[in-house]
Amino acid sequence: MNKKFFFSVLFCISAATGASAQRTSIDTVAVSILDRMSAMIGSLSSCHYTVRSNYDIRSQHLGLVKHGDDEQIYMEGPNKLLIRSQGDRGERSLYYDGETLSYYSLENNQFATLALTAPIVDMIDTVNKLYGIEFPASDFFYPTFVDDLLSESKNLIYLGMTKVDGKDCYHIAGATPDMGYQFWISDDALTLPMKMVIVYTSRDMNPQYEATLSDWQINPVLPSSLFEFMVPPKAKKIKMAKSPVKK
Amino acid sequence: MSFRILFSLGMIILITALLAIPQSGHAQRMSHPNFNGGGRPSAAPSQNFNRPAPAVNRPAPPVNRPVVNRPPQQVQNHPAEQPRQIENRPTINGAGNMNHDYNQHNYTRNTAAHRAPVTVQKNVTVQHNVTVHENVNVYHNHYQPVHAYAYHPYHPYYWGHNWHPLGFFAASLATDAFLLSIANQQYYYDEGVYYQPSAGGYSVVPAPVGAMVSALPPGYETTMVGNDYYYYYGGAFYINTGNGYQVVQAPYGAVVTQIPDGAIQQDINGQTYLVYNNTYYQPVSENGTDAYEVVQVN
Repeated sequence: MNKKFFFSVLFCISAATGASAQRTSIDTVAVSILDRMSAMIGSLSSCHYTVRSNYDIRSQHLGLVKHGDDEQIYMEGPNKLLIRSQGDRGERSLYYDGETLSYYSLENNQFATLALTAPIVDMIDTVNKLYGIEFPASDFFYPTFVDDLLSESKNLIYLGMTKVDGKDCYHIAGATPDMGYQFWISDDALTLPMKMVIVYTSRDMNPQYEATLSDWQINPVLPSSLFEFMVPPKAKKIKMAKSPVKK
Repeated sequence: MSFRILFSLGMIILITALLAIPQSGHAQRMSHPNFNGGGRPSAAPSQNFNRPAPAVNRPAPPVNRPVVNRPPQQVQNHPAEQPRQIENRPTINGAGNMNHDYNQHNYTRNTAAHRAPVTVQKNVTVQHNVTVHENVNVYHNHYQPVHAYAYHPYHPYYWGHNWHPLGFFAASLATDAFLLSIANQQYYYDEGVYYQPSAGGYSVVPAPVGAMVSALPPGYETTMVGNDYYYYYGGAFYINTGNGYQVVQAPYGAVVTQIPDGAIQQDINGQTYLVYNNTYYQPVSENGTDAYEVVQVN
């Protein structure tokens, strides 16, 4: 009898635990930290940072294979952006001077341009949607970043303090129906993003994306010429093709 | 023949696309349903959330903050040319939204009313204890304001001549200012004010959580939350560790009588709150005295 009672209690506890695990849970400490980060980014008039990104590409015979890129990002509000990228995808640059978006591939000595007048994040969003071009770790720069997370997340939790490259960081994790994500936000006056990891839980083999952000420079003075693309000698102009409509 | 032409054209476009596009896999990885900028169609949130547009209720920028009771000498000593230039420069994304309308969310919220101070959270053993971390309710209890809302006008407060508000620029610091290193960042502390080097001088910054000082300047307040005592000075909260006073996050439920210069008034559901250093303060009355309670806006 005692044994039955014990197992009944155990079952109830298990059921309760299981039920609570299904519940949506938003930790306002996590929201507060992300808010601070978002506010800091929103207050920047210019910035420079480096992104080391690693991502999985599925191979038919090898499973998930890791690749990586190193990217230098320069931004100046409201409408200037430069991304210089080196890595497994070759050496590429993307210039945006507020009027023209230019993409250049060093290996192929090819470039494409697109006339576009928009603030940085609007440009990123539009170009991403229309042409499939993605911008490293640009999620943080969306003014609706936290709102977007709250809209889609089932869980968002502050896990505690940990270190990224020796720097104390707030560790935040969350999940949407399609992905799990983690952010590391610096525990200092600037509260800048230091790292992000995304696990695509709805994709086959659960590929991951990881980006480590470093060398942050806040409000640097950047020359306008930095964002202007000069066509290299003998470079061929190609057309930027629109991507299929995203899900 | 025409099929061959079409096929050739198709291949050209395909190759062009592959060459031109830095292929997917390394950029904004998340959807942004609330972002309506650019040429993107306005996307409805995927769940039953009806958040206000970020810009509408965003707190006013600091340049518009009230300057009532600002001592004249502090205005004169504020060489804000460089900060002002920065403020007037266009921002990268038009500022972030910190005004989340929790009332319109249908999730169960966990709050951090009695979360452990940072010193405990930095305990690696605790951090890596998954049971503790994932069970947020262990120390994140729902917080309800203790005091009723009682509006009274905001009068920015100064803690004497040596205290300066956030953003204040000083060309030099007092000789007895001492250096603190928190999370690989260097700060200078002097009379309850924290500075960081900036543009050839020093700018006042928020008190870094975790900073330890041996004593607080005269004029600090003591407030009790639960069974814990907190000490409040210059907009920062401290705990007494026995070895000194350590900066902590503003504890929900703490009641203070003064809010520093630099707070922003924000109306939420018909009530006016003060927001200072990302902390919401609700005007209350305690024993007939105007005061403010640290609250979580929801």
